[in-house]
Amino acid sequence: MSGMSHTVGSNTTHRVVLPFYFYAALAFLAATVLLLQSSSAFTGHFFQPAILAVTHTMALGWGTMIIMGASHQLLPVLAENRLFSVALAYVSFVLAAIGIPLLVYAFYTFQLGWPARWGGSAIVLAIICFVINVWGTLTGGNRDNVHAVYAVTASVWLLLAAFTGLALVYNFTSPFLPQGSLAYLPLHAHIGIAGWFLLLVIGVGSRLIPMFLISKYTNERLLWVIYFLINGGLLTFLFLFFLPPGLSFAWMPIMVVIIALILFGYYCYCCYRERIRRQVDSRMKISLASAGMLLIPPGLLIIVVAVLPAGHVDSRLLLVYGFATFFGWVTAIILGMTFKTLPFIVWNKLYHAQTSAGRSPNPGELADNNLFGVTVAAWLAGSLVFIAGICCRRVPVLRGGAALLVAAAILYNWNVWKVLTHKSPAK
Amino acid sequence: MNVVTNNDLQCTIALAALENVLDPEIGLNVVDLGLIYRLDFDESGSGIAVTMTLSTPFCPMGESITGSVEQVLKETFAGPSVTIELTFQPPWSYDRISEAGKIFLSR
Repeated sequence: MSGMSHTVGSNTTHRVVLPFYFYAALAFLAATVLLLQSSSAFTGHFFQPAILAVTHTMALGWGTMIIMGASHQLLPVLAENRLFSVALAYVSFVLAAIGIPLLVYAFYTFQLGWPARWGGSAIVLAIICFVINVWGTLTGGNRDNVHAVYAVTASVWLLLAAFTGLALVYNFTSPFLPQGSLAYLPLHAHIGIAGWFLLLVIGVGSRLIPMFLISKYTNERLLWVIYFLINGGLLTFLFLFFLPPGLSFAWMPIMVVIIALILFGYYCYCCYRERIRRQVDSRMKISLASAGMLLIPPGLLIIVVAVLPAGHVDSRLLLVYGFATFFGWVTAIILGMTFKTLPFIVWNKLYHAQTSAGRSPNPGELADNNLFGVTVAAWLAGSLVFIAGICCRRVPVLRGGAALLVAAAILYNWNVWKVLTHKSPAK
Repeated sequence: MNVVTNNDLQCTIALAALENVLDPEIGLNVVDLGLIYRLDFDESGSGIAVTMTLSTPFCPMGESITGSVEQVLKETFAGPSVTIELTFQPPWSYDRISEAGKIFLSR
């Protein structure tokens, strides 16, 4: 028997992580099918039932579910501590898995009564469980860790975004806010996009990118600067939103976030330049490319803000902004990181003590590389065609783009399924 | 590699065997990665004490790697008791990768 002074391995369990990945893959497929079915909605205003349904399927079912799942695996690594509660992670999954389809159904049919309220409430409860788990894991570990601080802050912003969203749902049917819910949508959306997605992706990415590249580069001070810029930008946005003459200065928080993104791009470049491992696989390439794509949505926002004083913002700009966020960089980073992290989790389950040469495949071999390449090609082509369709307001072009995205989602699901059902030849 | 030992001959045999234990992500063995700090053999030949590290505390692959180190040593030395002590003092750094390891990674 071996004795170990430090415990390893059982920091979390694959049983709680894998359902999040599986659910997210199905949500991606559902979102693309909804997109195909509702393509014509993208020729009009952005506030439409079908667009709300697609957006929330992407933001919650796809982005949030997979990030929450991966967080349950990565938090112990970030915090150098065990996952606070596996049971809470299960509860979080079940509540979110029930709440998301209810909310999406409510948006799609625009019945903002009980399905939206119950769905939204279940999602808020799921996120509360998640926040407790993040907080418990990170505060019990290495508290000075910048990546851990990113994760805690992002989870708090997520909770705030969810609470705001639920308030807007209630405000639709029983108005209690000074203005209609539509007026508060930018608030809800940007707390979610910048506070949750952006902060968590940068916090976790800045740990994983040098780890996977085997890079010597570290720059904690730069990561703190980026952290304060993003949070400062978001807080400035909230301040401007509620206090006049807010919109005249709307470019300020956007510029602050753009500076943060340029600095993060510089951080990724330095990690890449100082890498020890020369070969960079296609999954890392797409993940690094997504860091560059981060600049597209705020770039579009600058155009929106520049147009605002004229009093009329073309809805196409806002549609492209939303699409480039959820189908663009959020999807890009998930496509890349799914096939970096998922094979590891499955490999760890199957080849537990078989790391000797020739006894087990490399984790990367569990996913199909060719299938991944075709998936990325279909996603990229579909996204570009769909954006062209939004710009020219042509339904056939939108349908063509959406069909390619459905193909990308099917291929992605196929590859995820291959990894999940991989069997150890030794057994 | 700088592995401390109380038995040079046994250590050479053990390190040769441990070159078969790979970090699954990197594909490089634990010896060239510099994860092994110390190998002590008791005089009766019935026990091996390994002091090693991981590239990061709470490494998700930690159990796989330490399990394989134990398994390989048991197979090589015909079933002694293997004690693995994980330490993060000093923490692992890229400077611990051997020249052969650096050449492997730069391919």
